[in-house]
Amino acid sequence: MPDASFVFAQSLSGLTAAMFLFLIASGLSLIFGVLRVLNFAHGAFYMLGAYLAYQSMLWLGPGPGLFWIAALGAALGVALLGGVVERVLFRYLYGKEELYQLLFTYALGLILSDVAKIFWGTQQKSVSRPPELAGSFSLFGATIPQYNLFIIVLGPSIALAFWFVLQRTRAGRFIRAAALDRETLGALGVNVDALYTWVFMLASFLGGLGGALISPMRATTPGMDTEVIVEAFVVVVIGGLGSLWGTFLGAVVYGQVLSFGILFFPRFSIFAVFALMAAVLIVRPWGFLGRPLR
Amino acid sequence: MLHVLTMLLAALLALPLVAEAQKPIKVGMPMPLSGPPALFGDPATKGAQMFVDEINAKGGVLGRKLELLVRDSKADANEAVRVARELILKENVDFLVGTLTSAEGPAVSVVAKENKIVFIAPIPKTDQLTAADKLHPYVFRVAATTTMEGRSAAEIVARWPVTRVATISFDYAYGQDVTRAFVEHLKKIKPTVEIVDQEWPKLGEQDYNPFINAQMAKKPEAIFSSIWGGFFVTYSKQAKALGVFDAIRYNFIGVGEAATPETTKSMGADYPVGIWGNSYDAFYWGETPAHRDYTARLSKYLKDEYPSSWAIQGYIGMQFLTEAIKKAGSTDSDKVSKALLGLTVDTPVGALTIREKDHQANRGQLYGKTVKDAKYPFAIMKPVTYVDPSKFMD
Repeated sequence: MPDASFVFAQSLSGLTAAMFLFLIASGLSLIFGVLRVLNFAHGAFYMLGAYLAYQSMLWLGPGPGLFWIAALGAALGVALLGGVVERVLFRYLYGKEELYQLLFTYALGLILSDVAKIFWGTQQKSVSRPPELAGSFSLFGATIPQYNLFIIVLGPSIALAFWFVLQRTRAGRFIRAAALDRETLGALGVNVDALYTWVFMLASFLGGLGGALISPMRATTPGMDTEVIVEAFVVVVIGGLGSLWGTFLGAVVYGQVLSFGILFFPRFSIFAVFALMAAVLIVRPWGFLGRPLR
Repeated sequence: MLHVLTMLLAALLALPLVAEAQKPIKVGMPMPLSGPPALFGDPATKGAQMFVDEINAKGGVLGRKLELLVRDSKADANEAVRVARELILKENVDFLVGTLTSAEGPAVSVVAKENKIVFIAPIPKTDQLTAADKLHPYVFRVAATTTMEGRSAAEIVARWPVTRVATISFDYAYGQDVTRAFVEHLKKIKPTVEIVDQEWPKLGEQDYNPFINAQMAKKPEAIFSSIWGGFFVTYSKQAKALGVFDAIRYNFIGVGEAATPETTKSMGADYPVGIWGNSYDAFYWGETPAHRDYTARLSKYLKDEYPSSWAIQGYIGMQFLTEAIKKAGSTDSDKVSKALLGLTVDTPVGALTIREKDHQANRGQLYGKTVKDAKYPFAIMKPVTYVDPSKFMD
């Protein structure tokens, strides 16, 4: 039996991975919930977030506090791009067949990743951890990087803020209404087109933020977009498409299964995750907290 | 009159021959140009192109120019096979020089065998590429092998005052082969060593935290890693945050070119300075005049003060091919293949020979402990040693 400090460290690393995935998957889930489009290009927004954070750090240079400005700027940049993409391109996809949507968003993702390659080349880029959180501390015999702890706190904070906006604000009511019945909402005098753009920008912001915040932990390279989109999809599917807390729960379960999977099946931890997804799809095809489709 | 006619006719008949002689010798190069492996694939094609430009400026080979046709293999075996076939069938290339990963190399080797075209692999290391059951007359390798690399690392680790050793490698051909070679050789030369843990993340893993926690729970005193390229950046960032390098007092060796200048450069101050690593080349090595000259030319060609350490593999691959064509006096693959057997070439890293028995060059690598050097804004290996693998190739 592994000792307690190892189990503790392992669950925390699973939680860190989960919170990153939640950031990315929540945007994916939001776009599907409201706009009814499965956005395969979401991974590219995440990648652009990482590259923009890298670029901003180049401009800003090292220094206390600057990473946060870079990360926020990168996320805002990605949100802006998302807004343009929604206005100019996505607009024509609503209500179309899923196959067209899939092909379109997939193609968009490929184009965006090639654009990134034109700007930043194929060489790996690396962002340093912000000096404020560069250290680590010991807890119950486990070494915990401060940055990981920040991510673990950030995830639920964003989920709560999200929940608050959706449930308690006027804009949130509109978003929920748009998810249920777009036409009626429009007939009641709400500018649904603008609402869609805002929702898309918010989702892109979350994807971009995920990419920017992950850049101190991973190498920023071409191809990081396709890796993450598969994981985010698994999370959204097991959590329940379009459900905020479902996505959160899905991410947490995914992270823990991955972390502890390597204990029991050292060479099949990936298998454990996909076995979980298959099991969920068989037993509860609509996911943990999703609603069955009519 | 008849005489003149005959001469005209002869001249006419000779025309296609002349045209044939003017046609360039085409070399197809499948190489990853996208995704993290492009970090190495891209400079390798540049090194090959520099060699081609230089030889063409001197009039080419057998009076013909060389032409390099580069295609993106996407570091994928299926894609590498597809572009290799396309290069042969559509572009009519005479030879193949290329591939990077240990998945692509053996796959393209099969294509070369089918089409009876000489194929020189400049980077893939898996032993399987030139293993007795896979070897055929047309496949050659100028890269190190997993056996050579794993054993070189074992020779270094055996000198450390440690007994509890752990390994972390990707779960595919290269990772498995190099780790096995390392473990077997280390146990042989230092029987007191105990392998306390082996982690096998999937190729391209992005989150190493769970693997690192599991490994550190076994309290290793030294770690062998074959996490390569951009993946090493991700791995070492996460390992550093978890205090791995301090816990094992930097008794860490990263093969798969973990100490390559590109990697230390891209990580800057984040690089775990003090670990051991290897590299195919290093611009700061400068052991011989030939190497210094090569580095200066490459630096100019790439317009980079600190030129890539991967260009050399493309360069050496093309060098061997060209020398073999000269020796054979022909571009016929059967003749070039025979010419390559036992061929010795003066490369920028010294004289290398392709062995007759397994078509493998004695290509060693540079090894060293990484240190900070005031001359450069990133870590370098110092002292850096070229480990000649000749004594443990079998």
